[in-house]
Amino acid sequence: MKGWSAIAGVAIMAATMGVACTFAPRRAATAPASVVRGSVPEGAPSVDARSVEERAAAIKAAADRSDHESDSKVRADLATEANSNADACLALDPGAAACQYGKAVATGLEARVHPARAGGLLGSMLQSLGKAEATDPNYDKAGPARVRALVLIRAPGWPLGPGDIDAGLAAARRAVALQPGYPPNVLALAEALSKTGDESGARENYAHALDLAQSLPSGPEREDWLHDAEEGLRASR
Amino acid sequence: MSILLAAAASTLVFCAPGYPGGAGDAQPYVDQFAKAAAAAAGWPAGSLSAVYDPTEQGGLAKLNSADAVLAFVPYPFYVEHAAQLHLTPLAQADIAGTGTKEKWTLVAKNGRVTGASSLTGYSIASVAGYSPEFVRHSALSAWEVPANVKIEPVGQILSALRRVASGEQVVVLLDQTQAAALPTLPFASDLKAVMQSPELPVAIIAVVGDRLPAARAKTFQAGLLKMGQGTEAADALGSLKLQGFVMPQLPGDVAKPLTGKRPMAITKP
Repeated sequence: MKGWSAIAGVAIMAATMGVACTFAPRRAATAPASVVRGSVPEGAPSVDARSVEERAAAIKAAADRSDHESDSKVRADLATEANSNADACLALDPGAAACQYGKAVATGLEARVHPARAGGLLGSMLQSLGKAEATDPNYDKAGPARVRALVLIRAPGWPLGPGDIDAGLAAARRAVALQPGYPPNVLALAEALSKTGDESGARENYAHALDLAQSLPSGPEREDWLHDAEEGLRASR
Repeated sequence: MSILLAAAASTLVFCAPGYPGGAGDAQPYVDQFAKAAAAAAGWPAGSLSAVYDPTEQGGLAKLNSADAVLAFVPYPFYVEHAAQLHLTPLAQADIAGTGTKEKWTLVAKNGRVTGASSLTGYSIASVAGYSPEFVRHSALSAWEVPANVKIEPVGQILSALRRVASGEQVVVLLDQTQAAALPTLPFASDLKAVMQSPELPVAIIAVVGDRLPAARAKTFQAGLLKMGQGTEAADALGSLKLQGFVMPQLPGDVAKPLTGKRPMAITKP
């Protein structure tokens, strides 16, 4: 992190905050309890499935609250709580995608609280996401690949951080290939294409995400996806 | 009273084209810096606000606003826009891990570029590519870069380096941090540093036009110069990776100290 300009100092703080918001529940940890429950690998040995489920749900709840919390002290406490649950989850079953994914979310909350340590934390997030994707790529509707994509396209790039637009685009394509009907995956692909300068591809995918979201039952998540797709379409005109 | 009114409307504009991040999330850090800098200058609390813009056009728009009295910009931005914006440098940033100056490095695919003439038909990609004046006449001042060379601003420097390594007709101009990290790339052996710039300032704080009276500019400059000497401003400096400020020493010109007796002259890069 050393050696870059003061201006970049501002920029990396901003980027870190943006990346941390990637892990806020709107896009990353939106898995309802039923999805979390269903994603715990079946038949895993020596696993208290209910406890893993509870830990994952607690991490999601902390992320939910953090996203709407303006007090930095409360956000710090929530990050600590989420990390504690993630560590406990991993102690129960180190191989569970729910725990690895939860650890990534918890680390994202920590990065938001401590942007100065973002470099290492973002790297840790990517490691956790890699393990989750290797275990269950479909967890949270291809969440590991989707969140990896968002981190890679939003994080500061080499050498300031782990951002890598080419790898981010590849991850977004993987998420869409796995779960093509899930709007956040298509939104992530649109954002990645926009970052590579492919505005036509970005518009096409924002429009597709809009269609997908419009076909779903109404709810807060649907409204978020519609908003993001419409905003993306406006920005990519 | 008029001084107080002027102070209330003072804004410091941070602009860093090519670097990551958005304006909203940067706000707490620039707010913190503005507060500390104003305190160091002895200005009334709340008399200086700050904004950040990550784009060249957005930064220019903000700097054209009447309340924008100070600019904190990378040196390439200063080179490109100092004359247009009538910027007068007040201080030069001292960056943790870098210092007050840095060298830029031109990187090409191994064996492809041996001099300026071999750049014909190439593009130069750089985070500073928004400033052709800086690229041609500051960073690559030792070379007569052919007129047909295209200069591209890129935020994704890793992608640009992959293009170089794959044999595209692209060279990349790296700042000091990027150049130092070059050996960490898995394809580093495909790349070669072919030219290095003289030492150049990293970032400049400047007065915009005549929007800040000379006496106030002088107190602000004095405040900046002492910011790195105490512990009070340490947090504000640290969050921006700053160690402090020194008097500006621009290539080809040494900024003159500001005095209340002499009008501020534009110091050209």
